[in-house]
Amino acid sequence: MKLNKRSVAHYALSDSPADHTGFLRTWGGPGTPPTPSGAGRRYWFVLKGNLLFSFESKESRAPLSLVVLEGCTVELAEAPVPEEFAFAIRFDAPGVRPHLLAADGQVAQEAWVKALSRASFGYMRLVVRELESQLQDARQSLALHRCVFQKSVTGCNKPQAPDRRAPGPENGHLFPRDRNSNGSVEERGSRPVGRDLTEWGLQGPASLLLSRGQSPVSPETSCFSTLHDWYGKEITELRRGWQQRAKGSQPESKQQSRP
Amino acid sequence: MRYNEKELQALSRQPAEMAAELGMRGPKKGSVAKRRLVKLVVNFLFYFRPDEAEPLGALLLERCRVAQEEPGGFSISFVEDLSRKYHFECCSQEQCQEWMEALRRARNEIRKMTGKDPLEQFGISEEARFQLNSLPRDEQTCTGSQLGVLD
Repeated sequence: MKLNKRSVAHYALSDSPADHTGFLRTWGGPGTPPTPSGAGRRYWFVLKGNLLFSFESKESRAPLSLVVLEGCTVELAEAPVPEEFAFAIRFDAPGVRPHLLAADGQVAQEAWVKALSRASFGYMRLVVRELESQLQDARQSLALHRCVFQKSVTGCNKPQAPDRRAPGPENGHLFPRDRNSNGSVEERGSRPVGRDLTEWGLQGPASLLLSRGQSPVSPETSCFSTLHDWYGKEITELRRGWQQRAKGSQPESKQQSRP
Repeated sequence: MRYNEKELQALSRQPAEMAAELGMRGPKKGSVAKRRLVKLVVNFLFYFRPDEAEPLGALLLERCRVAQEEPGGFSISFVEDLSRKYHFECCSQEQCQEWMEALRRARNEIRKMTGKDPLEQFGISEEARFQLNSLPRDEQTCTGSQLGVLD
């Protein structure tokens, strides 16, 4: 299949804003021979939108590789070498091996997982649509009621009417929680908000966020960093769970070593 | 430059923003217009031989320039060499207009998706939002000399 590689490389090198950059170790990218120690090769990675580029070094004048981040999920992973801060990009496409990557530390690992999870165009479109519809709902509510956070508005008729989930305890949202449920999202498994979201086959972080019935936006939201922190909650939880599982496996190995 | 071709092929099978059979002519001199099924999915334009399942090729649309050519026809070219144009022939000027607008929207920036910037309403500028440093955005063409290592 042809690709306009020259233009792609030009875009990679251009000073269009990158969503994330940093050094990562990589194993078994196509054509990447493993190092003798198994430690993974360290390249400079640049994320622009749904495009993840790698370079031999920061100063390279041509990208080594491109990973198009659509139809994939990102999750923490076990690295071939212990104590790596590893994560994997898994694709839905059949017969495609996941891309295994590792950061230099926990902070970097979490930042990359967060950035890559949100990189796909489909995910961004979903977020934008969800935010827009909630903005609209909130404005309507404001217009109708003075105390929007006390009442629940049931006037909006959505064609699908699944059970509304109660707001979860994990909510890190800074704004009043008893916002009306009008803008909250349906459970995973039922038709999601917006008729063509199902077309994107959303998986992973996007559907998880949607299914919690949490609203990242209220009429008072004016700070994008708050939204970032809110989405970051999931990553922190993932990591906590991973660490607990890792700790939980240690007592077993001690038992096995007893005579 | 390696890229994940299988995933890109899978992407070409996803629901498209726009899809139609158009006349398509490559940028090389003397190339002939051929019928192609052209499909816009996120920020990629795929083109297929009609009735073939696998795409012939894909164009990443970042930093592209879309221009009206003859009535009912438009071209796509890229910042680094605007004279290299991919030509497309539509069946009507309306269809042509539709495609040009859709292609201009097919970028990573949120503004292009909604037609308006949702965060600008809250006074959050684009600079604060996306840029990791304070470099100004440069719309100038890159010189061809840097691209000598490619292909």
